[in-house]
Amino acid sequence: MLIETTIIEENVRIQGRDRMLEGVLAYPADRAKFTALIAGPHPFLGGDMRNNVVDTLSKTLASGGGVTLAFDYGGVGESEGGPTDWPAAMSAFWKDGMIPEEHDWVDDVGAAMAATREWCDAPLVLVGYSFGCWSIANHLRDSSAHAVVLVSPNPKQHVFDDLADCDVPLLIVHSDNDFTCSVSEMMTWFESIREPKVRVQLSAGEHFFRGHEAELAKVVLEFLQGQRLPGVEQIEDTR
Amino acid sequence: MTRERIDVFLTGATGFLGHYLLAELLAPPHVRCRVLLRPPVSASCARLGRLLAGFGLNLSALIAENRVVPVEGELPDSLNSADLGGIDLVLHAGGNTAFQANGSDEPARTNVAGTKAMLTLARDAGIPRFVFVSTAYVCGEQVGHLPEAVYPTAPPLRNDYERSKWEAEQLVWDWGRRNGVARICRPSILFGDSRTGRASAMKGLYLVARATEVLARAMDGNHDADRHHIQLRILGRGDATCNVIPIDWAAKQIVRIALDPATESSVHHVTNPDPPTHQEVKQWLEAYFDIAGGRFDDATWPLADANHYEDLFYSLGNICLDYFRHGLTFESQCAANVPSGQRLIDGASFAQCMKYAQATNWCRNRIDETDSVAPAGGIDPKWYFESFLPRAVPRSVVAKVQELTAVVQYTITGPNGGSWISRFDRGQLKETHAVPTALTPEFEYRLSYEDLVDVVTCRKPLQDVFFHGSAEMFGEVELALKMVPIIGEFLKEFPVVGEGIPSLAC
Repeated sequence: MLIETTIIEENVRIQGRDRMLEGVLAYPADRAKFTALIAGPHPFLGGDMRNNVVDTLSKTLASGGGVTLAFDYGGVGESEGGPTDWPAAMSAFWKDGMIPEEHDWVDDVGAAMAATREWCDAPLVLVGYSFGCWSIANHLRDSSAHAVVLVSPNPKQHVFDDLADCDVPLLIVHSDNDFTCSVSEMMTWFESIREPKVRVQLSAGEHFFRGHEAELAKVVLEFLQGQRLPGVEQIEDTR
Repeated sequence: MTRERIDVFLTGATGFLGHYLLAELLAPPHVRCRVLLRPPVSASCARLGRLLAGFGLNLSALIAENRVVPVEGELPDSLNSADLGGIDLVLHAGGNTAFQANGSDEPARTNVAGTKAMLTLARDAGIPRFVFVSTAYVCGEQVGHLPEAVYPTAPPLRNDYERSKWEAEQLVWDWGRRNGVARICRPSILFGDSRTGRASAMKGLYLVARATEVLARAMDGNHDADRHHIQLRILGRGDATCNVIPIDWAAKQIVRIALDPATESSVHHVTNPDPPTHQEVKQWLEAYFDIAGGRFDDATWPLADANHYEDLFYSLGNICLDYFRHGLTFESQCAANVPSGQRLIDGASFAQCMKYAQATNWCRNRIDETDSVAPAGGIDPKWYFESFLPRAVPRSVVAKVQELTAVVQYTITGPNGGSWISRFDRGQLKETHAVPTALTPEFEYRLSYEDLVDVVTCRKPLQDVFFHGSAEMFGEVELALKMVPIIGEFLKEFPVVGEGIPSLAC
């Protein structure tokens, strides 16, 4: 049954390890059924909380009864910090596709997770997109998460050993034409990781899901609807 | 509750401090600003737009919303009181910072005659409040603890700049006695943004830092000398304080003072209650540039027996006479606005300002304003790729990305379109040609003419065009993606401006 749900969006500030971060909290007007922290892509690659995938997931999950928190990593938007030596950072990024400051962005995820827990005690779901998959995975051991969603992870670029530290249901969503990781590479990696897990392959969408955001968000919401999160009834599709 | 609207007339808005004041004034929604801009107003608006873009503010939008109203004019004599109609307060931050007249009529023309003209206009327009940005160093050669009060007789002043500000203070204070509320704000030495290190001009203590860099570079090329035992006499006292303040904190204090509805005229030192000593500044500079050895000395300028290192260090002028002077302390109500236990400037924030200064080549990165103005009739992709890029890229952050070696194609679709290929080698733009050319691109960016105009004028961030919009990448897409942040930084450094091109929102 489709029910019109009012979503409230609130700009929030998050105390990071040594900097303040900006975030957007979205939640339904009625009782929250779960909490979702959404970690976005690399700040050098359009990684902000307005990113099309982050924004769509945030709104869709909120309309499904979640309290969602999306945030800007340090140095993005109004969040403090970020690389101080841009030429060096961009040189490193051009050479290796990563920069030393990425570990600070992983710390930002930890701060956002702590804030999420403080603001809402409903069961926690961790959602990462692209670089956010890796930054989320770094916190699985201590997260007490009840489900994990990774959208377009890139196992060629990042090591996901930390997935083994958490045995909650895991959803991997990717497209069949993602230039960062081919379907066969994704399937090989998927076979190597622990259970319980579900893989959903979308047709087209590349790495950015431009024009396919709603389809992607539907997959994520349906996955969460299938989970038995403690203390809450099944999640409804209220879009 | 909606607060009553306040209309402010601001001078000096395109200056180092002035654009921070404007951004701070615009933070509360009930303030509107009329800003005095030098003719031609289009060029001044373009400059102001670029400066405000650094705060995420879009001048075009602010003008469209009537939050900012440009007024073309120049002090002391091209304004009339009608320009100030309906204004609640004047914040007069315009000034000339030349220390010596050296045969010209500045800084007195701007600082004294200009202030006098503004006061007359304010009186004629019936404006009840006048806020004047002076300098803490209007105290001249006085020492000790200095009160927040005007000096009715001129103290011994060191230069024409201090004299001009002292004279202007007398005029402002007298205006307050006769016409309304006068506030005098006296900032000390302005330094970079405490959050980002950003600064749009690099005078004052930056000259000392540049001199230190000159020395460090000389040591880089001299492996026989010990860079940590440099024979350098620094003219001044190490235990005296160097009253530097972050530009963002100064702007916040001045705007707070300006908008304070109190009805008494007053003087305010906008100074650092816990400033570093000269010895601390020396240590920060030595740590940053990896040199050491200078010692404070009572000798006086000029040094009759200056050695090679001293010649180098003082090659930017007799900087220490102005900035390593004997210590002063200032009475300051603003001191209460520094969080307990925090310093306005410490070693970390100082180093951040140094990094910013070096990254912008001490604010010398900008190409001439006329070079970044698009030809009449709008932005021509041919002009942008074949003329603008080759001039701007060598002076930009791109040239410092030493790992960048790539052949890139840009295709602009639509009636004004075309295709160009650039070859970069270790950050240097080696060549750009229109297609067809013998160069084979590794990747291609394809975007519409409208998107091109949006990104090169900084109306839309590049990432938005690629990740939210219609632009596309072909070929080695991962390489194309990695280059997006590099191009994004370049666009922020060198936005295109021009007649009829709305201003910037990087």
